[in-house]
Amino acid sequence: MSFAEVKITKEPLMVILPILSIVAFFGIWQSLLSFGVVPSSLLASPLQVLKLFIAKWTQVNPDGALLTTHMWTSIQEAFTGYILALLVGIPLGLAMGWFPIVEGLARPIFELIRPIPPIAWIPLTIFWFGIGIPGKVFIIWIAGIVPCVINSYVGVKMTNPVLIQMARTYGASNWQIFIKICIPSALPMVFGALQIALAYCWTNLVGAELLAADNGLGFMITMGRRLAMPDMVLLGMAMVGLTGAVIGVIIDAVEKRLLAGIRR
Amino acid sequence: MEDGNKTMAENGNTHAKISCKNVSKTFIQKGTQQVHVLDGISLDVAENEFVVILGPGQCGKSTLLRIMAGLETASTGSVIINDKEVDGPGQDRGLVFQSYMLFAWKTVMGNVEMGPKLRGVGKEERRKVAQHYIDMVGLQGFENKYPHQLSGGMKQRAGIARAYANQPQVMLLDEPFGQLDAQTRIYMEQETVRIWEQEKRTVIFVTNNIDEALFLGDRIICMEGKLPGRIREVYDVNLPRPRKFTDLDFLKLRHEITEASELTL
Amino acid sequence: MTSIANETQSAKKERAPITVKAVLTNKWFLYAVSLTFFFGLWDYVAYKKILGSSLARPLEVVNYMGYMINHRLAGNSLWGHAWASTRRILIGFSIASLIAVPLGLMMALNKYVNAIVKPIFDLMKPMPPIAWISISILWFGIGEPSKVFIIIIGTFVPCLLNAYNGVRLVEPELYDVVRVLGGNRRDEIFQVCFPAAFPAIFAGLQISLSVAWTCVLAAELVSARSGLGYVIIKGMNLGRPAMVLGGMVAIALAALMTSQLVGLLEKVLCPWKREIEGL
Repeated sequence: MSFAEVKITKEPLMVILPILSIVAFFGIWQSLLSFGVVPSSLLASPLQVLKLFIAKWTQVNPDGALLTTHMWTSIQEAFTGYILALLVGIPLGLAMGWFPIVEGLARPIFELIRPIPPIAWIPLTIFWFGIGIPGKVFIIWIAGIVPCVINSYVGVKMTNPVLIQMARTYGASNWQIFIKICIPSALPMVFGALQIALAYCWTNLVGAELLAADNGLGFMITMGRRLAMPDMVLLGMAMVGLTGAVIGVIIDAVEKRLLAGIRR
Repeated sequence: MEDGNKTMAENGNTHAKISCKNVSKTFIQKGTQQVHVLDGISLDVAENEFVVILGPGQCGKSTLLRIMAGLETASTGSVIINDKEVDGPGQDRGLVFQSYMLFAWKTVMGNVEMGPKLRGVGKEERRKVAQHYIDMVGLQGFENKYPHQLSGGMKQRAGIARAYANQPQVMLLDEPFGQLDAQTRIYMEQETVRIWEQEKRTVIFVTNNIDEALFLGDRIICMEGKLPGRIREVYDVNLPRPRKFTDLDFLKLRHEITEASELTL
Repeated sequence: MTSIANETQSAKKERAPITVKAVLTNKWFLYAVSLTFFFGLWDYVAYKKILGSSLARPLEVVNYMGYMINHRLAGNSLWGHAWASTRRILIGFSIASLIAVPLGLMMALNKYVNAIVKPIFDLMKPMPPIAWISISILWFGIGEPSKVFIIIIGTFVPCLLNAYNGVRLVEPELYDVVRVLGGNRRDEIFQVCFPAAFPAIFAGLQISLSVAWTCVLAAELVSARSGLGYVIIKGMNLGRPAMVLGGMVAIALAALMTSQLVGLLEKVLCPWKREIEGL
């Protein structure tokens, strides 16, 4: 029932307001510092952040690495953990959804681990791996695996039972039903997990780097605080947000392209 | 407000005459694309008449009903109810939806008493009115159930009770039994006649089912099978009630209507 | 059809003799095997010191938790630390939801509010809340306010988003019902919008809660004198794996309990909501 009258005519106000809002946001932020309302030890102005952003392309000091190095480290850690989470989590979730024996064996352990926020693993990973990349990859892996398992599991469980019964009457084996029916029908849910897992991974990356790191965007934020440089803290935050958003857009595009094939 | 203070018996002004004059409707889709849904519909309905609008899916019949309800405005022409032009929804018309549209967060009682409540009728009074109509549709004992605990037929009973409880002069029903199974549907059709004979209203009933139309209607407005929606033919149904689906005259008329439309309804 | 199929199946199950296969596919048997294996492996690895002295045996962890309940660490027993974390979450969470839910509802109902707030919200959204820890310490020092601030930042986004989407996804015909029954715009909002968005708002609260636990731990790991995050970081600094693991168990239990609590609250407040099957 589509009774809605679709009106595309855009009010000019609706175009102006968002722009105005963003301009006001940065304007107020800048003027808070320009007029000394907020001391510069607490906050840096957008212009200062921008200046540092440009400087950090070529300047190693004072935090010991270029901006690109920090970013590269973070992306490396996040992606390794993310990919490992997908590689383990999705097959595990799918199998848990279809094979009772896998569910029976894996579920109790999964339920034990699930309520522990990934951040809480940091002390243990420092014991086990030191402060290098593997420890952070482990935390990101733990963070990413939970949504992967849940979504794949639910995806298989939501398979239309009529389809399964139909396959049975055609004489399909258990394994064939799993491969040919359950997995394809779980795919949209699995793709949904890609985005969720990425967001989890990225959040926990920052957490992991805040504590145990000598490199990376999270480390840069921590160094900014230790050196009492609000501009570096803000630059780190902005870069984390920006990188996360860009990766999110890429995953979204990939997901849409892959799903477009399935829906047809 | 005033209606709330009257008892149901005193609320005598439940008769209405409807006339649609040259109603047309054009939707604008995707910015510029025009879709003509209704074209020059003229129609008069007498007091307490049971009129069925019959047509296949996508023939504009639901849009016509929504214009009468005041939820859409006609592009040209007008709908006049009791010498007053329709310019928005009002308490004089009650609408029953195909997909029930009950408030999931309210019990049956909460749903049925919603109309009087919105008009500011006191709690005791509106409970009494609601209970009357809950009993009328046969839902007594289910007052405190939530919609998800009811079957489809019971949900639509609640939907009908909700429309009635607002004491409208005109009942507009938009394919109300479209989602029910065949058995329940026939039963609900019998119930509809019983309820209508118990509390007479002017009824406009939209359906795509020819048997339903013949069983219920004093008059059947048959629509064209495609857009823009036009009236193809009007049939008077002078069969005595209660009607039977296997009655010879019933079948004769069914044959006549079916022959006249290119679609097998 | 399906009911008949189920009946015959269950009847067959009753008559089935206890075979090896039946035992192997029994849910509870598998659960027991799984847990025995998990704890057995854990105990073995810890006992044989395969990971060095960085892992405590499960019984040691339980004992140490008992020890922490009876002995104070930095002035608090384990209960005290658990309460310290939970209290931070409750405060931050309440403040955030009190601001974010009404704001989300307003954004969904008024396109001008939406046009003003949404761009700034979209700007902030991709920033993980943990990234705010440093700036929060710069602003508020290392006391309670900085931790509460992080939790507010973290829970704000899901609260607002779910309230907003909750209203946007309301079946539009429900508004028609209210209009036909004689309601005005106000009735549409109070009789349809808010109650219909309620389950979505609660789903947002559940998400917020798990974010809040992550945030409070991160804040406590960075700087704190109390809370479960403090317990595990202290355990790390003292080189006591039993303390770290005990803290983690306590965190898991506390997180589980708070989410059960919200679930219970939802059941009481939304009796109409159908149960949704899932993991």
